Amino acid sequence: MNARAAHAQEPVGRSAAPAAPLLLDARGLRKSLGGKLVVDGVDLSCGPGEVLGLLGPNGAGKTTTLRMCYGFLRPEAGSIRIAGHDLVLEADAARRALGVCTQDDTFDADFTVRDNLVQTGRYYRPAITGLAERIEELLERFGLAEYAEQMPETLSGGYKRRLMIARAVVHRPQVAFLDEPTTGLDPQARIAVWELVSGLRADGMAVVLTTHYMDEAERLSDRLLVLHDGRVRASGSPRSVLGDVVGEHIVVLPIAGAGADQVAAWLGERHLFSSRVLSNWHIPLDAAELAVFVAAFPHLRYEVRVPTLDDLFPALADEGRA
Amino acid sequence: MNTYLPAFAWQSRAVLGRHIRVHLRKWHTAMLPPVCEPLIMLLAFGVGLGRQMSDLSWNGHPVDYLTYLAPGILAYTAFMTAFFQSLFSAYVRMHYQKSWEGQLTTQVRLEHVVWGEALWAASLATFYAVMVCVVLLGFGMAGALHLHWLWLPVAIPLLFLAALAFSTIGLLFTATLPSMDHMGLPFFLVIMPMGFASSTYFPLPDVPLLLMAVQINPLNHLAEGMRLLLVAGTPSWHLVWAAGLCLLMLLILVPLDLRLLRKRVFGDR
Repeated sequence: MNARAAHAQEPVGRSAAPAAPLLLDARGLRKSLGGKLVVDGVDLSCGPGEVLGLLGPNGAGKTTTLRMCYGFLRPEAGSIRIAGHDLVLEADAARRALGVCTQDDTFDADFTVRDNLVQTGRYYRPAITGLAERIEELLERFGLAEYAEQMPETLSGGYKRRLMIARAVVHRPQVAFLDEPTTGLDPQARIAVWELVSGLRADGMAVVLTTHYMDEAERLSDRLLVLHDGRVRASGSPRSVLGDVVGEHIVVLPIAGAGADQVAAWLGERHLFSSRVLSNWHIPLDAAELAVFVAAFPHLRYEVRVPTLDDLFPALADEGRA
Repeated sequence: MNTYLPAFAWQSRAVLGRHIRVHLRKWHTAMLPPVCEPLIMLLAFGVGLGRQMSDLSWNGHPVDYLTYLAPGILAYTAFMTAFFQSLFSAYVRMHYQKSWEGQLTTQVRLEHVVWGEALWAASLATFYAVMVCVVLLGFGMAGALHLHWLWLPVAIPLLFLAALAFSTIGLLFTATLPSMDHMGLPFFLVIMPMGFASSTYFPLPDVPLLLMAVQINPLNHLAEGMRLLLVAGTPSWHLVWAAGLCLLMLLILVPLDLRLLRKRVFGDR
């Protein structure tokens, strides 16, 4: 079943679990770092052939959540199951079933591209069947074949990320964690990585990725999980997340335009927020509020558009201020 | 998690194998230090300085300086190589290359990474010590050095144990040094005091306080034990003391290293 279709009609929250058995099932994750609670009661799940996008502003707890899920950090509370294996009690089996592409390049700088994949393969038991063939397949599929004998530091940023993702899946994991896989890449390299991620989904892998790029989250993810201050603020399909956090419409009007003061007063009276983007206000409104706005300012010039994920972070920031 | 069992786990061997493979890729340059260092030391100090001085009085017998120095260099090589690998090289892999983090996202866990580093440091130190033995044999074949050569194979396992123990001191600094800029600190705090407060380069002066202090210096027992073994052909209590102190270091420092490195790498426990 196509995971995107399966989740299109789902409501927000954990009740929207996919019908297929979960490959990642994390519940009640909690973590403090440096005396500060950075993840507080986060649940997340991901099924086969599904991409779960983890979104949130800096410091929201995305990387910490991801690091707990792949066993790098130990949660203070909660449980994590990978392909049915408890990450603490059955650590070897759980870790055998997951692959990780970290935010930083953590490939082995002392080995060539090919030997990086060989060496990574040696860190898994049971041993990978047909490792040599698997590596050839990955080199071809990830466009790394012509660089196979080069050292990783000679690669461009995009190809380094390809190598990182290839390392993450060399042992044919069931769950792949990709922490900001396209950060710092040019548009062409980003699209190449998107295609690789889509390929992993087509292979039936559960993919969990974090990103700051809204277009990336929208294009790649079947479901989104929005974190804010270490908690789940919203989850579900990109549309339902937007409706939940941002609203139905965005009114865009110039800050310096005529009637701006009246609009500011109108917003203040209703305790509504607006975000400032360059020289414009972006005001999220639901249908009823929009009707009132239209009636209140019949002569004002403005634009009404549907919200995008770019409106998500300002909305979260406003919640934080409130 | 048991502290010592992971030393025998396949993951630790996988990490050790990684280091060996990297070293073998650079074998032609990696071979230079273990051959050149003892050669230079023996030529400069043993032959050069030794010619300027009369025989030393060691263990109630006169002995020329080259003969005195040779076993000391063997012990010092094990000490210095293990310390340097587990400190400088491990720090670079942990902090700059991030290869530890890469390993920790697989089935390898921190205790395997740490044991892999310690075993590698000990293995390399032992290999370097073997290379020193080859250089010493060269001096012997040239008639410049007379040792009880048949005892050399007996010395190797003890040098491995000592190197493993010395690597735990290096890892302690890897876990605690704030930055690369502080890399001189362990050399100043550990290498120089341990190196000079031992009988590696010269017989220790007859100062009661110093002689008492060096009783807890495993390098002193190792150097003196190697000397009794190779020069006099006598296994001594110094070797037992050295082995005992090394085991004690492993017992105390491995759990401490793991605890401090866990805090450093994961930042939270």
